[in-house]
Amino acid sequence: MKLIFEKSVKGRDGYSLPADLFDEVNIRDCIPAYAATDAKRILSEVSEVDVVRHFTKLSKFNYGVDDGLYPLGSCTMKYSPKVDEKLAALDNFVYAHPLAPEEIVQGCLEIMYESDKLFCEITGVDQYTMAPAAGAHGELTGNLIMRKYFVDHGEKRHKMLVPDSAHGTNPASAAMSGFKMVEVKSNKEGTVDIKQLDELMDEDTAGLMLTNPNTVGLYDDRIQDIERIVHGKGGLLYYDGANLNASLGIIRPGDAGFDIVHLNLHKTFSTPHGGGGPGAGVIGVKKLLIPYLPTPIVTSDGKKYHLTDIGEKSIGMVRAFWANFAVLLKTYVWILSMGADGLCDVSEASVINANYVLAKLKKHYRPAYDRYCGHECVLTGRDYKKHGVKTLDIAKRLMDYGIHPPTIYFPHFEPYAEETMMIEPPESESKEVLDEFIDAMIKISNEAKTNPEFLTSAPHATPIRRTDDVLAARRPILTYDDELKLKDELQYRDEDINF
Amino acid sequence: MRYIPNTEEQKKEMLNDIGVSSFEDLIRVIPADVRLKGRLNVPEAMSEAEVAEKIYHIARKNSDFFLMKPLIGAGAYRHHVPEAEKFLLQREEFWTSYTPYQPELSQGTLQSMFEFQTYLARLTKMDVVIPSIYDGASATAEAVLMSLRLKHRNRIITSASLHPHYRETIKTYVAPHEPVTIELPYEDGLVDIGKLKELITDDTASVIVQNPNFFGGIENLAEICEIVHSKDALVIDAVAESMSLGVLKAPGEMGIDIVAGEAQSFGMDLNFGGPYNGYLATKKEFLRQLPGRIVGETKDIDGKRVFVMTMRAREQDIRREKATSNICSNHGLNITAANIYLSLLGTEGLYKVSLFNTKAAHYLEKLLLKSGRFERVFDYPFYNEFLLRSKNTVSIVNGKLLGNNFLPPLEISRFYKEEEFKDVLLFAVTEVLSREDLNKLAKILSE
Repeated sequence: MKLIFEKSVKGRDGYSLPADLFDEVNIRDCIPAYAATDAKRILSEVSEVDVVRHFTKLSKFNYGVDDGLYPLGSCTMKYSPKVDEKLAALDNFVYAHPLAPEEIVQGCLEIMYESDKLFCEITGVDQYTMAPAAGAHGELTGNLIMRKYFVDHGEKRHKMLVPDSAHGTNPASAAMSGFKMVEVKSNKEGTVDIKQLDELMDEDTAGLMLTNPNTVGLYDDRIQDIERIVHGKGGLLYYDGANLNASLGIIRPGDAGFDIVHLNLHKTFSTPHGGGGPGAGVIGVKKLLIPYLPTPIVTSDGKKYHLTDIGEKSIGMVRAFWANFAVLLKTYVWILSMGADGLCDVSEASVINANYVLAKLKKHYRPAYDRYCGHECVLTGRDYKKHGVKTLDIAKRLMDYGIHPPTIYFPHFEPYAEETMMIEPPESESKEVLDEFIDAMIKISNEAKTNPEFLTSAPHATPIRRTDDVLAARRPILTYDDELKLKDELQYRDEDINF
Repeated sequence: MRYIPNTEEQKKEMLNDIGVSSFEDLIRVIPADVRLKGRLNVPEAMSEAEVAEKIYHIARKNSDFFLMKPLIGAGAYRHHVPEAEKFLLQREEFWTSYTPYQPELSQGTLQSMFEFQTYLARLTKMDVVIPSIYDGASATAEAVLMSLRLKHRNRIITSASLHPHYRETIKTYVAPHEPVTIELPYEDGLVDIGKLKELITDDTASVIVQNPNFFGGIENLAEICEIVHSKDALVIDAVAESMSLGVLKAPGEMGIDIVAGEAQSFGMDLNFGGPYNGYLATKKEFLRQLPGRIVGETKDIDGKRVFVMTMRAREQDIRREKATSNICSNHGLNITAANIYLSLLGTEGLYKVSLFNTKAAHYLEKLLLKSGRFERVFDYPFYNEFLLRSKNTVSIVNGKLLGNNFLPPLEISRFYKEEEFKDVLLFAVTEVLSREDLNKLAKILSE
């Protein structure tokens, strides 16, 4: 479809300013010659109508949770309630300046303070920081806290243990925080190899980053051994909250011995993903780590709320201002809407959903681990390789059935998890929706045997078809101006894409 | 529960199909000792009407900010956000989709990212753009890490007129690398050029300045670049108020190596500090050291022009501990917000808003000086923020302002402890203030 630049018509505009533009002030008196621009920046020239149609059309090339099942494993693509959006859009919040005097932002501070109390109760820790903007940002913050804690205690711990099944953000966060990442192998049950953990955990190691249920959707039955081993050598336990959707009201990470917990508010706590954010990756800690949290936190003296400096041991700030406040507010509304029992129901329903999909599909797609799963299950397409069909082809074909594919090729370690698809059907999905998905998957498994070429060339019914990603990397066109420079070489089929 | 569709009966049916008799059977693997005993101490569920009422009450504990005329910026600016943008952003296809890993179902998000990359490349006159890092401060910190990798040197110089939160964030991010960090002082509100010449060394990786700086001052970036480049170090330009790019010469024309910006002014509301949207813009040669996601153009198998995430070998899900950053989720929707905003403003609109902000700020400064109640702190060129020392105490000024529904300017001593900053205010002016507002303000403050 055409770019906004290709719809530009000289002289059009889509914005209004007041009539009085302070014409009597001479811009040459304001901006020194060394900084004054000599030409306007060329953007585009379109009317409001053009803009509305352009972006409405663009939106139709996207698929969202409100369109249907979005079973991305470890992403918890659940329904985002509309009332959350409405309340987060109230003027008194939307227009609140982060540096306004405390006495006139008491409402914002109350939301932050009360959210902290709820998160602490739900996860069994003592204090949250609302600063981190995303899960990986929370991981970075948590790792920096561990680093600071050990420096403060005069210990030189330079290693961080990360399971081989961890998301890529875990090793990257550890590395960014100055730790040498040490990988812990998974056993054939898909959980941490305790013997190896015991060998690796030593007094040079700051701790272990772990997800529970783990990144393949399995509860670790030896969580107490893990805790004993890590704490036994003076290390800290970090809980990656990507999979908390399986644990609400069932296990609290803090009770299981975790010292630091991060939550993805855009996963477990229902805020929308926005095509890649903004979410929030708040982290909570046990008492011993509170002095190291990013500054400030919100406190209450019983009458008023305050932004309070955490003190000199703080790792500092990890962003400007205080929080992804609008995201936090949506989460607060969601928790109040769910209530204590509702939160338990979330985990119960999501675990049943995932096990139902596993039970119905395991005859057709050999599971990576044949045992009950948490809130997500890992199936494989390995039996279709002999027909020349890869998991990628199965995923692409699923789009033709109007369903977003699950996470594919993750986890991707051999020998248990090969050609994987990780399926997470959150609590907001009904049995009928899952049955449609299961039907589609079974049909595709038959197609893989009888008509494999149809899968390897899928999708067929989407606005665009498979993309040449190698070309994109080999000949980077990263702006429209890059394209214009190559105009003569590029020969696109100049037919507009349809939906 | 209205967000959990399956009925008790369906649940039973599903458990039966799984081959267990209860939910408990599925989670038996969790050791009893770590299970939560009893219920969560969380309030009972509220109905939609109840929760709405509660939140409306909490909202009233804030001031009625919509009608308050803001005189404060300091890294977060109240600009008018067009309704067309707000309306379009509500489209669920943008809001409820994931990171565009599957391009066949994500061309909306991908094309929007590509368009925004183009806008920012044109605004900054740089070659390549990472359209979303969390915010301006974290983008600046990422730029500093990038400079350490590119230069293999371990010394950085940060300007004292860089936003205090940005400086704090840099400090936090670089701590594990333990670089020598030097603060570059200001002179009359701008980078002290003489001091820069003294401090720049052969082992400096980068110099980080903000433009317009935290005091609103317009730095001479070309001069700074020349000095820094003579030692083969990089200059990072933090642009906290991206609207300024409409009237200021582009960073790319001044020799800047990395622009680390905050796009909040492009159609993002204040929201008490977030979410906003950081971005990075740099030269093509540094592409492979950039953190975060970028979109490129390619073809599909039918030969149509399409967009995909590209140059992915830098990212954490592929390179793990060797990635350029750990960033995964960013502030994707805000890319589309900014894209819609810039599309509505267009070439003329951006220039005019930027011009309005500059002129209105200078108009106000003159009025306040004329009142005799304020004096200049620095004699410096500024964009839309400026410092003035009040002859009244800040609490008197703030009292008058709040009483007349103005949101007071920043008291600069909140961040700078020097004696010269006693009773000094950082005023910000944007297009949400009219001549009438500014006249009224000057009148109130001269009484």
